[in-house]
Amino acid sequence: MESNWAAEHLQVIRTLMERSALYRRALAPIMIFNGATGLIAALLGRTLNIGSPCSFILFWAGVGVVALAGSFLLVRRQALKESEPFWSPPTRRITLALLPPLVAGLMISAVIFGRAGSAPGNSDSLGGMLWLPLIWVVLYGCAFHAAGFFMPRGMRLFGWAFIMGGCGLFAVGFADGLRPLDYAHGVMGVFFGGLHLAYGVYLYFTEQRGNEP
Amino acid sequence: MNPEPFLQLDRVIHEKGRLTIMSMLAATPELSFTELRDGLGMTDGNLTTHIRTLQQSGYLSVTKSFQNNRPLTTCALTVAGRKAFTNYINLLEQIVRQTKPE
Repeated sequence: MESNWAAEHLQVIRTLMERSALYRRALAPIMIFNGATGLIAALLGRTLNIGSPCSFILFWAGVGVVALAGSFLLVRRQALKESEPFWSPPTRRITLALLPPLVAGLMISAVIFGRAGSAPGNSDSLGGMLWLPLIWVVLYGCAFHAAGFFMPRGMRLFGWAFIMGGCGLFAVGFADGLRPLDYAHGVMGVFFGGLHLAYGVYLYFTEQRGNEP
Repeated sequence: MNPEPFLQLDRVIHEKGRLTIMSMLAATPELSFTELRDGLGMTDGNLTTHIRTLQQSGYLSVTKSFQNNRPLTTCALTVAGRKAFTNYINLLEQIVRQTKPE
């Protein structure tokens, strides 16, 4: 039937257009690196008793910079290995999608940092700002959900896991028996460490097969 | 059935290999040679031949540059190529519509 081949052609065109617009870098090493960084940082933060709002924000901002730099190098290495441009159109789209929630998180943290630093009696305990790690988790989830439209579908679910997890913990509230220090670094470790690591390991075993045409 | 849309189909694009190249490039401003090759599972020779044909038809532009001392070939659709591709899709849609049962 003449219409069959035409419809099939249109389907092939659609599939190829979708495929070329998707981000193709292997995400498993990036996720595993970020997961390991998050877990180590959470343990370090807890061990070093990083418990004041200012030091907590500074510490995790530093961890974020390390994670970002590591991810950048991993992506760049993949691009070089495959003789492809680093700043490709899909990379641009992903970056633009990630930016708004991440910038929002940065701005909120900067304001909290400024206020916590100047407010008397508020600089030695995380107790009054335990919602901040949850805000970070939710915004990070929003960022990945937005980027997921240009990535394999699993990335949007990954974003949802952060959003729902962060909102869920917010709804449950802070348990009385927990120390603020343990809770704050624990949340960061579980989400930014554990979730990344788990998704990275999952991708490690599935990504190659899934990317084949 | 009106055979006109079928007769108007651009033969340069209608070939399967070239259609896949045009489709991938239509969704993005540019793609590197390796991205096209890996995305389509073509051999270097096959892809080069198709790219040359599309280039000669004025549908595709090829830019050669160096990135970190390594040669980088990128392909992009020209304005004429994008227009021809859109026209091709419209004709395919017409063909599908024509033979669709009422």
